[in-house]
Amino acid sequence: MTVMPIALSVRDMHKSFGPVEVLKGISLDALEGDVVSILGSSGSGKSTFLRCINLLETPDSGEVTVAGETIRMQRTARGIHRPSDGRQVDRIRSQLGMVFQSFNLWSHKTVLENVIEAPVYVQGRSRAECVEEAEALLAKVGIADKRDFYPAHLSGGQQQRAAIARALAMHPKVMLFDEPTSALDPELVGEVLRVMRALAEEGRTMLVVTHEMGFARDVSSRVIFLHKGVVEEDGKPQDVFAGSRSERFRQFISQ
Amino acid sequence: MNQPTLFELAGFGPDGWGHALLAGAWMTILVAIAGYAVGACIGTLGAWGKIAGNRFARATADAYTTVLRGIPDLLVIYLFYFGGSAVVTAIGKMFGTEGFLGFPGFLAGSLAVGVTSGAQFTEVLRGGFKAVHPGEIEAAIACGMPRWLRLRRIIAPLTLRHALPGLGNVWQVVLKESALVSITGVAELLRQAQVGAGSTGLPFDFYLIAGVIYLMISTLSSLIIQQAERHLSRGVRKR
Amino acid sequence: MDWQFLEETFVSLVAAIPLTIELAVTSICLGAILALLLALARLSGVTVLDWFARLYVFVFRGTPLLVQIFLIYYGLGQFPVIRHSILWPFLRDPYWCAVLALTLNTAAYASEIIRGGLLSVPHGQVEAARACGMHRLMMFRRIILPLAIRQALPGYGNEMISMVKATSLASIITLMEVTGVAAKIISETYRAIEVFVVSGAIYLAINFVLTRLIQFAEYRLSPHLRPPVPVMRDTAAAAAPVGDPQ
Repeated sequence: MTVMPIALSVRDMHKSFGPVEVLKGISLDALEGDVVSILGSSGSGKSTFLRCINLLETPDSGEVTVAGETIRMQRTARGIHRPSDGRQVDRIRSQLGMVFQSFNLWSHKTVLENVIEAPVYVQGRSRAECVEEAEALLAKVGIADKRDFYPAHLSGGQQQRAAIARALAMHPKVMLFDEPTSALDPELVGEVLRVMRALAEEGRTMLVVTHEMGFARDVSSRVIFLHKGVVEEDGKPQDVFAGSRSERFRQFISQ
Repeated sequence: MNQPTLFELAGFGPDGWGHALLAGAWMTILVAIAGYAVGACIGTLGAWGKIAGNRFARATADAYTTVLRGIPDLLVIYLFYFGGSAVVTAIGKMFGTEGFLGFPGFLAGSLAVGVTSGAQFTEVLRGGFKAVHPGEIEAAIACGMPRWLRLRRIIAPLTLRHALPGLGNVWQVVLKESALVSITGVAELLRQAQVGAGSTGLPFDFYLIAGVIYLMISTLSSLIIQQAERHLSRGVRKR
Repeated sequence: MDWQFLEETFVSLVAAIPLTIELAVTSICLGAILALLLALARLSGVTVLDWFARLYVFVFRGTPLLVQIFLIYYGLGQFPVIRHSILWPFLRDPYWCAVLALTLNTAAYASEIIRGGLLSVPHGQVEAARACGMHRLMMFRRIILPLAIRQALPGYGNEMISMVKATSLASIITLMEVTGVAAKIISETYRAIEVFVVSGAIYLAINFVLTRLIQFAEYRLSPHLRPPVPVMRDTAAAAAPVGDPQ
């Protein structure tokens, strides 16, 4: 079996909000093509972990490496940990595609404009090329006919699929999904999970914070269980779900 | 003596003051636009100070809005007009000119209106920014959009859309405030009406006509603002 | 820093404060009554009243206050019938003209605030009152109006602050309230900045006191929005033991 290169690497990440330490030293190596499901109850730090990877939150310590490039951090005079090169952060962010729980499509732009916004204005690609690709992506996620609609006129499932297309348009090295189906009505969850499954089968590297056990068990190549800021369980889904050594994890999945 | 009717007074005939009143109305709009523009600049700075500024910027912006909220606009006009004249006269003395040099009324008026409306602008823009869904800004950050691009493509358009009703309100206030600028002698609408009233001895007629013209300008403004609101909100309403 | 000048200015301006406050209080009070009538007219369901009130608000909110003041002070004197009426002593006097103009002006803005307050009274509470058998006048007096006032108070507070500032326009028709005195001193001495600072400070002080009063009123009028005061255990038990005959 060929060893895949490491797409994303996190070393010893710590994060506190005030007196509360939410991440207590998390490390993770995601190989190319890995689909990592991150599970945990609320307060376990799973969303914080994801948001620290693309620096929407700044970790208090730890290292993030994307496709071999480590985000350069510094410590200020007052001891605050922050990135030392803003342009590097922007560049790395444009290589990480994030899909949010509340979709976060730009309400003043149509679906098509949402999808081409970052490729054209952040990555500087030609508008014609981006439009063509955007239309293909929208067709792939199943909303080609909604290209000129505004987000407010779409259902939740359609909006999330548009958000996925928007993330894909940037040709990301790794995709980050922050509870992508938690804000959806139950009958709309399926259409989004189907798209995510297709992406996984294509070989995309994905980190998915989710409550959808079915996805974690059937689609992901790896399952991580966070509890109170610490990785309690980490392994292949068949191993983890069938015979976990962690009492807490067994409690968690039995709910 | 046959008194001219209201329509004759407002008209363009031999007894008519139509030209003067029209010129006055035009000057009113110019003063309002100038004041609005100054206020927009100050307000943008103020809103930025309150939203993204450091402690000093925030304190300055807070002090500015608090102070101007409580002080009559007329006093500010006096400050700029007489204060400005004093400054100009002093500068003139340095260069050897004698006597009083007046600070231009239009400039004093626009600056004063700008300074007072700037406080309202600050609050309106700040409110508009707070109404923007933070998730949309986060999505822009997550795409790797640098700060300036974010502001230009996402934050500013969304803030303006939410702030538009408030900005329309500020325009209406500025329009009415321009009438105060008449005390500096600027030949805007109220001043022209005063001149006409003094000349013909018919103050009621002239101030009534002036009032009607103000109403017309105000109503026209409302219609334009409503159109702008409709255009900018085209994505917001659910069908 | 010319302290003597500042002191003299301050003394002159303070002497003018009573007039400013008189103008403000009188027009706010009279304006409130008129505003209530206008709001009721809008909500009465009678088309003529509704349209009259709408027109009134449109005209008085759409024209500058200064134009309204000029119309009343200078304009009314144009008509012989007014000059010979019994109202003339009032309508000739700048004080009463200013009060009239300010009253009519604030009534337009205040009526919209009051109308908003009346409309915001939860329908359910009105129904409960009707179900108790309250007739309309009592329902209005005891239930609707108090709730409307609580809702309208913040917005009305803003209007009152605007009114205090608006009294400054009376200086243009020769009244010597704070701005009038300030204008006189400035035009005599051309020391605009110093006079501005002192008179501005006075207005800020007046508005500060006014804001505090409004906040106090809001506090007193909304015990239902504050967390409940815990009842002391032993006093409650001692005060009314269950089943104890009194």
